[in-house]
Amino acid sequence: MGDFIKHPFVDMPDRNPEQVIPNDQLVFTSEEKKQIQTWVSHYPTADGAVMRALWLAQEKFSFLPPEVIKLVAAEIGIPYANAYGVATFYTQYFKEKKGKHVLDVCTCFSCQLCGGYDMLHYIENKLGVHKGETTKDGLFTIQEAECLGACGSAPMLQITNGPFVHNLNKDKVDALLDALREGKVPAFTSVTLPQDEDEMGGNRRTDVSSVESYIVPPISETVS
Amino acid sequence: MPNITVDNETLEFDGRPRLLQLCLETGVDLPHFCYHPAMSAPANCRQCLVEVGTPQINRETGKPNLDENGQPIIQFMPKLQTSCSMDASDGMVVRTHKSSELVKRAQKDNLEFLLINHPLDCPICDQAGHCPLQNQTYKHGPEGSRFEFRKVSKPKQIDLGPRVVLDGERCINCTRCIRFTDEISESHQLTIIERGVRNYPMTPPGVEFDEPYSMNVIDICPVGALTSKDSRFRARTWEMSKTASISTVNARGSNCYYWVKDNKIVEITPRTNMDVNEYWLADEDRLDYRIFNDNRPLGPTISGADVNWDAAYKAVADCLKGAKGDRVQFLGSAFATVEDNYLLSKLATAVGASTPMYLTHTEAGRGDTWLRTDDRTPNSQGCERLGFQPANRSALRSLIQSGGLDVLYVLEDDPVASGLCSAEDLAGVKVVLHYYNSTNQTLPAADVAIPAATAVETVGTLVNDQGHAQRLRPAKSIAGVNRTLSMEIGKCRADRHGTPFDKWYDESNLINCQPGWVSIPRIASDLNIEMNYKGPRNIMAELSSANDAFAGATYEAMGEFGVRLSEIGVTA
Repeated sequence: MGDFIKHPFVDMPDRNPEQVIPNDQLVFTSEEKKQIQTWVSHYPTADGAVMRALWLAQEKFSFLPPEVIKLVAAEIGIPYANAYGVATFYTQYFKEKKGKHVLDVCTCFSCQLCGGYDMLHYIENKLGVHKGETTKDGLFTIQEAECLGACGSAPMLQITNGPFVHNLNKDKVDALLDALREGKVPAFTSVTLPQDEDEMGGNRRTDVSSVESYIVPPISETVS
Repeated sequence: MPNITVDNETLEFDGRPRLLQLCLETGVDLPHFCYHPAMSAPANCRQCLVEVGTPQINRETGKPNLDENGQPIIQFMPKLQTSCSMDASDGMVVRTHKSSELVKRAQKDNLEFLLINHPLDCPICDQAGHCPLQNQTYKHGPEGSRFEFRKVSKPKQIDLGPRVVLDGERCINCTRCIRFTDEISESHQLTIIERGVRNYPMTPPGVEFDEPYSMNVIDICPVGALTSKDSRFRARTWEMSKTASISTVNARGSNCYYWVKDNKIVEITPRTNMDVNEYWLADEDRLDYRIFNDNRPLGPTISGADVNWDAAYKAVADCLKGAKGDRVQFLGSAFATVEDNYLLSKLATAVGASTPMYLTHTEAGRGDTWLRTDDRTPNSQGCERLGFQPANRSALRSLIQSGGLDVLYVLEDDPVASGLCSAEDLAGVKVVLHYYNSTNQTLPAADVAIPAATAVETVGTLVNDQGHAQRLRPAKSIAGVNRTLSMEIGKCRADRHGTPFDKWYDESNLINCQPGWVSIPRIASDLNIEMNYKGPRNIMAELSSANDAFAGATYEAMGEFGVRLSEIGVTA
């Protein structure tokens, strides 16, 4: 988005893209169909289930090319155009093939002030690709993300729409990338804030064991 | 009756109308973009904001609390409300921009937001002059732009489909077009893609916006984002005159406006008539206007040779004079008006011929359950109601081929092209032809060919497939002076553009043709047949009183929206 202010051009989507996923793979298993129908039954109208169904499809196919969006729309019985509109609205739905791990580095206000861009550029240099691009080995895609709601532990990043990595610094990034290369995705981490230290043993969530204590956020090297 | 108070004026209402609709119907001009009466109200343009309050009710007594003047105390909602998504309820008090500085400010600021990324290049925009965004910015908007940054550029000149072109950056995301395809035409071919400042309407990949009603999104678009591929940038709206008339492409007779520039039809847009087409118009109704402009005849001909009108009329009279009544066949036309067909049937009776027949033009599969019909003619119901029978094609063909006819009188139709017979079959028959276009394939076989005024040049009545009698109004004038036509143009076109007495009068592209209600009485007078009418208005007045099938269909009663005739054989 930062770049978008300097170069505000919206691209046309490819209106007649080649099919990526062959027809024989473009099917849901009966369990998946059943799951989707269960979601459909949870809502007054079928289109309520579109987000969960798209999510399931993304987990299955790793991304959402038009033919998959079409498949999802047909499965829950809503118009293809509506499903496509939803899929393009959310950045967490990947419309093109991404790396195995997508690193969403937050550069919104809080993270920016605490060094979000430092971290983004450090990762870009380390992996040798720019944001929006995927490394040649297909392991990592770097993306610049808007606020992910973890300002208290800025700067931070998110791994493939999943766990957050808080209080980033260069050592932590190094360790993270090494771990990801070995296939170890860090577990969900909860960050406790000073005012919560006394509550529930410092962790407001009961479902996690992993707790990281509050640290004073760093100050950006480049943004002042 | 329940009522609401808008700017200290009381409005009464029935049922539960939407507040914005109620205001618009009662003459309170609230600005709005996304609201359309036929569709749901998403309230996303935020332009129709008003202050809404209800009387404060005392919880103990259940009665309204009164102030020191004895008036009920009005409890206003803490924030402005979108009037399009709010139902009117009894006792509601509304303050619009006319009485509330807050509302005025909200409308102004909202327009400033809408215009942040909207190009401010109205002079080169096709919508300029009939653009709700432009009009409302002049009325309610800020005086200048405070936006000093680069605007977001979005894709321009995108063919959404074969007939609709998108200019992404003009779009204000009102979603009217999306809701039209979702709720009205149900083709579901459009959606808003992307998010935030990046969003604009688009078809999903692999889908073209190609449906029989796609061009309606152009009319409902409140900005210049969606334009017609056919007529974009061909004329500015202030260079054209518009005439309220009806479409003649199919039997539904959808109400429309004909837009005329330099005496040529440039565009056809829908006209609201809740009894026939509501707010909509099929694409085929809009695109078939070239028959009014191109391949028009130069003047009357006798066996292909140019003659003047008097000679042509005399030649027709001579054809009919020498022939025996049973060897003359009159063909009425489902393209021609009720008036012209009625005069033709009178002429047929006077020369002793049988009641005219008419040729049907149907194409199976062209119709749907909405505004398109299999019948490709605008007035077959009118012919039926005059007692005309559809021609039995094989019987008529063998009659022609066996030499059983001396004269074939064709009113505004094309028997050869419609497959009734070949031009060679007509060699031994004298053919009188009233025709619209020089592409008419019966023309080479015609002995006397009389150029006829088309639906945009004549005055008349057409009856649609549902029995709705509606008036045709002249959108442009014809060559020569016709006082009745001039008077009707003056009445129908607010600009008085077409009368020769006007300084805007334009003589280019005038067609040398005559309406049937001029030419048929002239032919009758050459035959010494009594046929005196002051004009189509009188013809219809006579017909509506003489024929039960047209009872009530006077010009005064038909007015702008037509009248529903009773079923054939049922008297009202």
